[in-house]
Amino acid sequence: MPHQCTNCGHTFPDGSKEMLSGCPDCGGNKFQFTPNSDRSAEDGADGDADPETPAADSTEAEADGVASRAAETVRGWVSSEPTDESAPDAPEPPAADRSTASAGTADPQSTGDSRGSDPTRNERSTSPGDRDRASDDEDDSFTEWPDSARRPEDRSSPSAESTAGNVTDDRTGSELNSSDHRTDPIADASSERSEPDHETAAVADSEDSAQASARSEVVPADDLPTGSDAAGEGDPITEVDPIDDGGSEETPDHGRVVSEPSGEQPSIEELRAELNEQFESIKILRPGQYELNLMELYNRDEYIISLQEDGRYVIDVPESWHDDADE
Amino acid sequence: MGLLTGLKDSISRVTDRLFTDEQPKRIGIYGPPNAGKTTLANRIARDWTGDAVGTESHVPHETRRARRKEDVEIERDGRSVSIDIVDTPGVTTKVDYEEFTDEMEEDDAIRRSREATEGVAEAMHWLREDVDGVIYVLDSAEDPITQVNTMLIGIIESRDLPVLIFANKIDLDEASVKRIEDAFPQHKTVPLSAKEGQNMDEVYDNIAEYFG
Repeated sequence: MPHQCTNCGHTFPDGSKEMLSGCPDCGGNKFQFTPNSDRSAEDGADGDADPETPAADSTEAEADGVASRAAETVRGWVSSEPTDESAPDAPEPPAADRSTASAGTADPQSTGDSRGSDPTRNERSTSPGDRDRASDDEDDSFTEWPDSARRPEDRSSPSAESTAGNVTDDRTGSELNSSDHRTDPIADASSERSEPDHETAAVADSEDSAQASARSEVVPADDLPTGSDAAGEGDPITEVDPIDDGGSEETPDHGRVVSEPSGEQPSIEELRAELNEQFESIKILRPGQYELNLMELYNRDEYIISLQEDGRYVIDVPESWHDDADE
Repeated sequence: MGLLTGLKDSISRVTDRLFTDEQPKRIGIYGPPNAGKTTLANRIARDWTGDAVGTESHVPHETRRARRKEDVEIERDGRSVSIDIVDTPGVTTKVDYEEFTDEMEEDDAIRRSREATEGVAEAMHWLREDVDGVIYVLDSAEDPITQVNTMLIGIIESRDLPVLIFANKIDLDEASVKRIEDAFPQHKTVPLSAKEGQNMDEVYDNIAEYFG
């Protein structure tokens, strides 16, 4: 229940725009935003709202830490970008896998921790062989979400926290039997992988060599779409990659496979990022720091008239003043 | 909702048209932060009404709510033009409280920043709903080719609003009116210093001509 009316408690699903015309129950125009997950990290800012957290299982245990966070994030990527650049030409996953994937998309809360990566694997353009191998080896479940599976602007930061990066690097290394098994994300970022993958030359600028190597078993480089960013636009699930807003200026060329922001608690920033995705007009980087999408602000009938740092916001509802006038 | 909103919009537009002869045109003073919008609004208001519009400051985002000065009557060549001046918050794509922390406490800077952001949202909304013409104010000492300027002027053009570009701060050594003229050759650029009152005659001539 990411959005909740602060007046009557009416909740709205993630991605809903229903509240933009005011609360259907009480007509209120003040809402608060509560992300699906990561409730434990909200600095208590939303503590008064809805104490039961459906997705608490994904964050309650720091012990799960990296793995669960990784799965969480993967799910976010998958659910919001199901047809990203390397995906469209992927072989059709088996029906069972597809249902898993769609379940993950439709209801992130119900997806288990490590199972959350399943949809990713299915969405990715791997050969059936790859998929089988991956199924056999649970560790490999994280190998299927390299940078090239995401839009360039979402790609990982070379300087991202190293703990999670190492984990995923390791997995990638074992998956690909790569000889240059690295653990240093910085070094990784500064040089392309050395293993031969000439067949990927055509798409070299949009996928790293590890990704290319896996992909090339199934899909020839020529078949790859040249660019697609239509993915995820209409997807109501906007579970946001926590590095998303900070990492948007990262260069896409770096061959980092994955950068997971470690076991660090997801924070109010993530919440803001999610809210940003919803409205796209004002991005709250942190209290006092904002990015504004002028076209969105101009184009919208309703607009945010009051920002509150705890995820609450007040919108101007075009119809609401009719009600006020009547009262 | 879309239907209702559309209805509301069209009603208000019809209403606007009906009364357009009797009501002064609302001229929005737009531009990036610290271009001198409030200084200009105050200059115009003081020259013709004796009152000021708002507080001026060298710290950006001093104006965080749109302020209107109504019925400013400007006389040119024996004829008089009545306008409402709307001084708007400076439009920007980024607001960062750290810009203000030298000038004030952090809490105040953060509040200023939030209000400024809300102000931009308001300014954009006004641009869409409530202005009949635009005075676009630029600091002549700054590079005029920015995302904000290009986008705003694009929006203004798309709405077919009459627009004048004011190259403000020509009293500064680094000022370059030509740079602004070159950046937006499709529009009339008027050089001025609102602070020093330089070239205000030409300013009023143009306001009367464009918005009268």
